[in-house]
Amino acid sequence: MRVPGLVFANSELIRSIQEDQSLTQVANVAMLPGIVGHSLAMPDIHWGYGFPIGGVAAFDLDEGIVSPGGVGYDINCGCRLMTTVLRGSDIRPFMKDLVLALFRNIPTGVGSRGPIHLSKSEENRVAATGADWAVKRGYGKPRDLERTEDHGAMEGADPSVLSERAVQRGRDQLGTLGSGNHFIEIQVVDQIYDPEKAGQFHLFEGQATVFIHTGSRGFGHQICDDFLKEMSRSAFKGGLSFELPDRQLACAPLTSDLARRYLAAMACAANYAWANRQILMHWAMETFLKTLSIGPDELGMNLLYDVCHNIAKKELHHVSGEATMVCVHRKGATRALPPGHPLLPEVYRATGQPVLIPGDMGTYSYVLAGAAGSMERSFGSSCHGAGRLLSRTQAVKQAKGRAINRELEDKGIIVQSRGKQTLKEEMPEAYKDISQVVDVVEAAELATKVARMRPLGVIKG
Amino acid sequence: MSSIKAHFTLLDHTADMGIKVTAPTLGALFENAGRALMEVMIRKRPAGKTSLCRVTVSGDDLPDLMVRWLGEILYLFEGEGRVVMDIDVDAVIETGLDATLHTVPFNPKRHEVATEIKAVTYHQIEVARNRDGWQATVIFDL
Repeated sequence: MRVPGLVFANSELIRSIQEDQSLTQVANVAMLPGIVGHSLAMPDIHWGYGFPIGGVAAFDLDEGIVSPGGVGYDINCGCRLMTTVLRGSDIRPFMKDLVLALFRNIPTGVGSRGPIHLSKSEENRVAATGADWAVKRGYGKPRDLERTEDHGAMEGADPSVLSERAVQRGRDQLGTLGSGNHFIEIQVVDQIYDPEKAGQFHLFEGQATVFIHTGSRGFGHQICDDFLKEMSRSAFKGGLSFELPDRQLACAPLTSDLARRYLAAMACAANYAWANRQILMHWAMETFLKTLSIGPDELGMNLLYDVCHNIAKKELHHVSGEATMVCVHRKGATRALPPGHPLLPEVYRATGQPVLIPGDMGTYSYVLAGAAGSMERSFGSSCHGAGRLLSRTQAVKQAKGRAINRELEDKGIIVQSRGKQTLKEEMPEAYKDISQVVDVVEAAELATKVARMRPLGVIKG
Repeated sequence: MSSIKAHFTLLDHTADMGIKVTAPTLGALFENAGRALMEVMIRKRPAGKTSLCRVTVSGDDLPDLMVRWLGEILYLFEGEGRVVMDIDVDAVIETGLDATLHTVPFNPKRHEVATEIKAVTYHQIEVARNRDGWQATVIFDL
């Protein structure tokens, strides 16, 4: 190991972390060239492939590497949260209709294709300009862009580096939710921890909110796959002068042309994901307006923030006391900038960045605000969710004979899902206790709790 | 034609899913791994008229070849909407294979999709000889 590993956890979480191979993966990441500080893991860490999920690692721009496996296949998988002026109690009587209408209006499921079919040149524009492409076509408002990480468009995106296959897979998946752990959830704010910041985030107790979790779909998967294969080949042929502890950690020196091309393609996928969430938000809003037969002012749906949690970014951090540009990999980790950080939009300069943490579909999600400790300890990062506890096969086994949708309905949560197994794989017991994960993040001063939401209705792929 | 069942076991992985495949010959191992991938993705593949698709895949070694081979089958489904019903590996060496795939167009009304596989990973990839022939371990990103 070139640097030590550092895992943020409490005594209970560390027990489950030790049960799989995630700590070995923290150690493997620590062996990569040019890594600085620590090989980090957030409290929602679990066994991934190559990097652990919940892993954060920063690399020196001259000596270090970029690794597609350190970003993940679902590039810019992320979340956005919309506030409304409605109360949860206002919409509860219409919840079954709302969930069914969302399920009908938003393409979900494996290989789902949407009503948007992109020509190659139009797809290139999505890849280059991200959420702005969607706003210019009437999906949402210009104000949404400053409430999106990187304004919904990462610099350096270059569609000319994309493979034909990536372009093909991106052609008709824009405006789709996908499957697995991706979801749209209607929620109610059930606890406020920091009234001042909640006020600045326009959150209030009893408020109805909408949470979206999805990413760059097959477009991003293909880009990761293309570059992993290319880097695997280059590492194999001696492009790097060290032995990979895991072939999934294939990487390229940040100074190489291969790294430049990967980062340009990765930015295209990040932008595609921001456009995707922007479009889904718009369709969700339209669904609310139509189902509830109300006007936009009566709904008052506004984007609070959009964060990505699978990304590599060149950022300025303090390394050994010196301000240094490094390439931060966040794989299942959320950026959490503290108050006053220059990258924050004016609207959140005083509060710190909103950090959106989805839980499982039976418990809570949280809104946190980035805190100063994140810049000192975690390269400006926080956790990204509850983190899986059970594998999908274990979850399906444990859920045998149970009607998960009925159990959730008994708790007041209406669920619609496309895949027959999805609800079992995603049942609440399959995940860690989100409250413990968030408490660890707060205790480590990476981010502070602002509000908690519980689900009322969920659609899944 | 109706789909041919593969012999494989599912491996537990916290976030994802793996398969362990065995076969008496290397060609049969690649055939079984491809069939296993399709069975994990699509539970029901009713019989239908298939069209033939010939593919050639190259790799640096057997593990790399396995990842690229399964990636090819995944792309056929994800990128071109083709469901593989059966596979004949015509020739295989350590760094390449030729195969004939029997495919039908994906029809969401006829094919019951079980699991979305985002990618075939290199994580803990293994292709090796065992006492009875060959075995492979592959982890998919879900």
